[in-house]
Amino acid sequence: MQAQNRLLKCAWLAVLAGLLVAGAQAAQCGRVTIANMNWQSAEVLAHIDHIILKEGYGCDAELVPGDTMPTLMSMMGKGQPDVAPEAWVNAMRGPLDSAVAAGRLHYAGKSLSDGGIQGWWIPKYVADAHPEIKTLEDALKRPDLFPAADDSSKGAVHNCPSGWNCEIITRNLFKAFKAARKGFVLVDTGSAAGLAGSIAKAYERKQGWLGYYWSPTAILGKYAMVRLGAGVEHDEKSWNDCTVKADCADPQPNDFPAAEVYTLVTSSFRESAGPAYEYLARRRWDNDTVNKLLEWMQVNQATGRDGALHFLQSNDELWTRWVDDFAARKIKDSL
Amino acid sequence: MSKPWFQDFPAMEGGTLRDLKRAIDDGFGDFIGDHGEAIERFFDPLKEFLIFFEKMLTGAPWPVVIAGLALASWLASRSTKITLGTVAALLLVGYFGMWDDTMKTVSMILASTLVALVLGLPIGILMARSRRLQACINPVLDVMQTMPSFVYLIPVVMLLGIGRVPGLLAVVVYAIAPIIRLSCLGIQQVDRDALEAADAFGSSSWQRLRHVQLPLALPTIMAGVNQTIMLALSMVVVASMIGVQGLGQPVLKAISNQYFALGVFNGLAIVGIAIAFDRALQSYGRRLQKHRQVPHG
Repeated sequence: MQAQNRLLKCAWLAVLAGLLVAGAQAAQCGRVTIANMNWQSAEVLAHIDHIILKEGYGCDAELVPGDTMPTLMSMMGKGQPDVAPEAWVNAMRGPLDSAVAAGRLHYAGKSLSDGGIQGWWIPKYVADAHPEIKTLEDALKRPDLFPAADDSSKGAVHNCPSGWNCEIITRNLFKAFKAARKGFVLVDTGSAAGLAGSIAKAYERKQGWLGYYWSPTAILGKYAMVRLGAGVEHDEKSWNDCTVKADCADPQPNDFPAAEVYTLVTSSFRESAGPAYEYLARRRWDNDTVNKLLEWMQVNQATGRDGALHFLQSNDELWTRWVDDFAARKIKDSL
Repeated sequence: MSKPWFQDFPAMEGGTLRDLKRAIDDGFGDFIGDHGEAIERFFDPLKEFLIFFEKMLTGAPWPVVIAGLALASWLASRSTKITLGTVAALLLVGYFGMWDDTMKTVSMILASTLVALVLGLPIGILMARSRRLQACINPVLDVMQTMPSFVYLIPVVMLLGIGRVPGLLAVVVYAIAPIIRLSCLGIQQVDRDALEAADAFGSSSWQRLRHVQLPLALPTIMAGVNQTIMLALSMVVVASMIGVQGLGQPVLKAISNQYFALGVFNGLAIVGIAIAFDRALQSYGRRLQKHRQVPHG
């Protein structure tokens, strides 16, 4: 009888301890704002973080809309939002590094283990029909294959949307490779939707297309594209000193580096979040996984949240490595 | 315990809904593959017209453009103040380095307004004559004005590519409603006595329209044109999101980079154009009305 009583007491204590731990975790984590960047891979990752932090770590997590420049500026300046799950940091390396040095921000970890792949791409059917086109230089010799809408005697290079850093880079490379002299015009696509729409249009009609794009993306999952090398090695110094700058006077031919993509968090979050921070520091995935998930989302017309739920339901062995057992159980129960 | 039936809406099953959406998307994809080229070719003349119009404004020497716009402003308003204001706005815009973008925007706006007028006026006239047509077209206009632009822009971009023509379509779809509504209203409001007089003189339906209804409805129609221009200007930024050149693009750049000054300068340039057009057209409308009141009064 006494033994039973003791057992009961132990059980009660265990439950109490469990509640305390859970309560402590929730209290520790508190309110978290997660930047929901406006492209698909970042969106689904933000939703995954949202679900895991909320269900697994009891955070009062909230998604806020974001975009690379404004979100990172706001994190550096105002310390909000707390988490940027997929920050393409190359463009803002300087200011970010000094914010990290000043202790305002932290690189929690790489979110894309392969890094982001950017560059100039052509559709696979063009590459197959013209196997001689391997590099940017090769493509720039054939303006006739990539006719511009306004003036079909010229070729078109589709630029990144206004205001994105890749717009400046593409503009500088356009200059560096003397594309204008080779009969090309640089087409401003206006927005991510415009850029993706121009690829979709070319692909549905099997027309030529040349321009900037990046992986991981659903577009590259849906439409097979080939990335063109620049024909030169990546030169980091000339890249950072000139190619990424709007006022670069004399851009040189250069290749895109693999973009480093980090999970960025504010210091206040890192200090207060405890185990939730540990999760973000461990969380990373490779481009194959992301492309596969994005393709599933595209085929099934899924929202970011649908995609996140699908991922959590079907990729246990990957995400359970990111979280502790206690959180993993709670997340599984919530699905 | 299951929930009562009224708690959750009996929605279509997730899988069926998904299949429906996919079927629509795939159907659209096939449609583009089959007819995309023909449709694009259909819009080619419009594209050529837009390119020509833009080249005319950006290519002409700036004093000529300013003189031309000042003359137009004077002819419309007969007001020194408005004309001088227009010239000052243009000079300022040019001085702040936004001349080319402004000319691209002005050419886009004028072309859109022209297209809206050519399409909208006849529709408005027909609507004024038939209640049934009016009942059909009004809801269509409501849809055109309230449907978020990107809903139809992305299909249009997939059909026609990015650039001027989809931009023009977006602007016209959004901005054509006032011209249709107000030309219909203007014609319906024409005094019955005036029409009876016209009939008494044995005028044909065309003569009645051309010499009685349209002149008397002109002030209202001009108000429609004015509204159309204003709505077209408000679409400049949206249009630039599908690659239309002009003042919208620096605004987009300013938004995504938080360049406060760049955004304000270009935003003010749009406001400047809007006010110049608005004041000129409004005083034109007032003059028309005065003219109408004199013989009657």
